[in-house]
Amino acid sequence: MAGLQTIINKCNALNIDRRKVVGIQITRNEIARTSETPTFNPWRMTLSMPASLPYQSNRDLIEAIDTLDRNTPEVVTFSDNACLSWIFKYQGTMSTAQINAITVASPAGFVGNVLTLTNLPAIASTRVLFQPNDLIQIGNNTYPFTSTTQVTRGVGTTVQVITNRPNIITSSVVGSGITVGNACSFKMFCPNMPTYTLTPGGYQQAGGITTNNALISWSDDFQLYEWVATA
Amino acid sequence: MTQNIPQVQDTPTIKSAEFVKLIVFNDYNDPSDTTVYTFSSAYKEETIDGTVYLPLGGLLAVGAQNRDLRVTSGDTIISLSGIGADNIFLVLGTKIRGSEVQVFRGFYDDNDILESPVYNRFRGIITSYGITEDREGQDDNFSVAIAASSYVNVLSNRIAGRKTNKQSWQVFYPNDTSMNQVYSIAGVNFDFGGKATSKSTIGGGGGGGDGPGRDRTGGQQQR
Repeated sequence: MAGLQTIINKCNALNIDRRKVVGIQITRNEIARTSETPTFNPWRMTLSMPASLPYQSNRDLIEAIDTLDRNTPEVVTFSDNACLSWIFKYQGTMSTAQINAITVASPAGFVGNVLTLTNLPAIASTRVLFQPNDLIQIGNNTYPFTSTTQVTRGVGTTVQVITNRPNIITSSVVGSGITVGNACSFKMFCPNMPTYTLTPGGYQQAGGITTNNALISWSDDFQLYEWVATA
Repeated sequence: MTQNIPQVQDTPTIKSAEFVKLIVFNDYNDPSDTTVYTFSSAYKEETIDGTVYLPLGGLLAVGAQNRDLRVTSGDTIISLSGIGADNIFLVLGTKIRGSEVQVFRGFYDDNDILESPVYNRFRGIITSYGITEDREGQDDNFSVAIAASSYVNVLSNRIAGRKTNKQSWQVFYPNDTSMNQVYSIAGVNFDFGGKATSKSTIGGGGGGGDGPGRDRTGGQQQR
């Protein structure tokens, strides 16, 4: 069983934090001055779990969590559960085949936070390719970016997408295909991996023999952090 | 000397990263025999003056640097991740003390592309290092701290000059024999201006009365 994927599938609250490293000062005359360091800007997600999972039927989850511990990443997705796939659903108007045909343009590629795409579909220039917050993944690199603006087809052979963070992929991405929306994957680990407590509840018996009398409660929320050390 | 930095002028917002360059001298007798280590807080590799600054170097923090209108001395501390052996080797396996360290600040444009040039923030010499293990419960981390003194501090502590002996004297002037006889009179007291006596030479005797006495300095006077 995939531990963090199960946590995502069963959590009852999801907090997403993509805040950047910034410094903010308010001057004496109340003018804001800010500084920013362009970093990997990793995804951070905090997942709250209900204390209602029966122990007996979730022992595989516990083992997966203990095996992952606090230092092992896992690739997770929000398309795994039909009840969650709406969260990062693609908002543009392209078909799957049209998306699959798109590649990163050469030589413009992906420089800074400007992603240039080509092999665009022959559709009306006003059609929307990406809406703000649409996830875009380059090739097999599990580092999703988001489109910060609405991108329409236009009339050129390429379009530029301004992404939420700069290109952190060290290898060349020119010619790579893209994945969008909830088909994207995140490589996450959980630095605070909570421990669990068994509390009485969820009593079950079979043939007069107790098979479960414990619910799992967690010591903390699961604070997932994107693993980008080897991007 | 003031330096014009257009990226911080007339704007309330800036984007910047710090770049650290460490030049370790492998052989004190050969200044060209160096190994360069680079670290940065940037999101990707950046090339500055032909040197590639790695984003994976493990830079944790760069200490504060003094900012004054006039040149002042100051120290700073650079913290590096000790997870992985690279940075521990850097301080234990190389001649890190005495190495040159430079800290630059580079500015990014709106599209997160590094602008040129980058600006020097600190230049100095590594004076010490430390490796720290920070263990609390099941959290176990290592960090490496490198302390550096600015060149101003180094220069203010520098002892300059020559010694009055043949070897030191001839470093700059190999043909100058002024100090050739110094070894032979080392430890001998001369009573300059005193009356010459038969016991006046070895072991604290005086020099010669009205005359120059016995000249044991090869014609040069010592005071």
